[in-house]
Amino acid sequence: MRQHAGALNRTWLVILGILALAGGVLILLAASGTLHAMSPATVAAENPVVTGDLHTVFEPASVTAIVLVAGILLGALGLLWILAQIPRRNPADRYRLHQDPASGTTLCEASVLGSAVENQINTLPGVVGSSALLRGSAREPDLTMKVTVNNRADIQDILHSINARVIPDLSTALETPLRRTGIQLEVSGRNPVSGSTVATTGTVIY
Amino acid sequence: MNATAAHAGSRDLNSRGRTVLDRKVVEKIASQVASEESFAGGSSGGFLGIGAHSDFSARPEVTVELAGNIAALSMEIGLLYPVPLRQVTEQLRRRISERVTALTGVEVRQIDITVSWLKPADETTGRRRLL
Repeated sequence: MRQHAGALNRTWLVILGILALAGGVLILLAASGTLHAMSPATVAAENPVVTGDLHTVFEPASVTAIVLVAGILLGALGLLWILAQIPRRNPADRYRLHQDPASGTTLCEASVLGSAVENQINTLPGVVGSSALLRGSAREPDLTMKVTVNNRADIQDILHSINARVIPDLSTALETPLRRTGIQLEVSGRNPVSGSTVATTGTVIY
Repeated sequence: MNATAAHAGSRDLNSRGRTVLDRKVVEKIASQVASEESFAGGSSGGFLGIGAHSDFSARPEVTVELAGNIAALSMEIGLLYPVPLRQVTEQLRRRISERVTALTGVEVRQIDITVSWLKPADETTGRRRLL
């Protein structure tokens, strides 16, 4: 149901991996002396890497400021990356369902559609509870469902009902096929509590 | 002779007085038209909006902004699930616009619809209902 920063992590790890690889190769080349052989301008392996006085390099205030800003920037990027690790639901806000806004708008909260889906799933036999989350736009909606069933439920039957009734009904309401659908099933020891009465179809005799 | 008759006619029109419609009249007409559709409903019960429940037989909440003889409506409705939302709201918009204009003479230019709940027609709460 929740989304993680998988794509962001992969991108940053690839960037950091390339930088670390380049640094490692450079150190290996410098240590083996190959770098000096390739380019005589570079320092040899036995010589110190920094020959000058570092204090004179970092003495100007501008260099200190640049290093400080770069440090803050790197720290902020790291902090943002850590914050991006928090799993998020990222639900859709509200769907705009109008064709011509000049004649009026039609708005429907995605949670309203989610509640309708949940109500429909909850009527299936063996379902203890459910939650539905809609993401994406009204033209390309994604539906994620978490269905909790009890241990007597026929899971294949529930999945069939969801695929044959619940998902097509949502497609009918939004007038577009769903782009992606995810179903997470959980088994619980609880019993479904759907009510204490049932509509009778018996004959009434006057 | 004709000039006299015309003068008398205009005097009659002036002597009839004016008919003024309150904004609430337009609101209630629009609300009633919406509730007459089988797929639309409103909310009923509760106190000061707290504890209200969705009801297909209730009138949806409508607010009207009037500018001269032109009205802009905004309404909160509940709809039957599953119905094609774009189609039924367009149908509802056309119907309300036609009926309000026919009954009041007010031109409805814009109807903003917010779908506040969706329910199947045969949904039961599983609890006893008072009739």
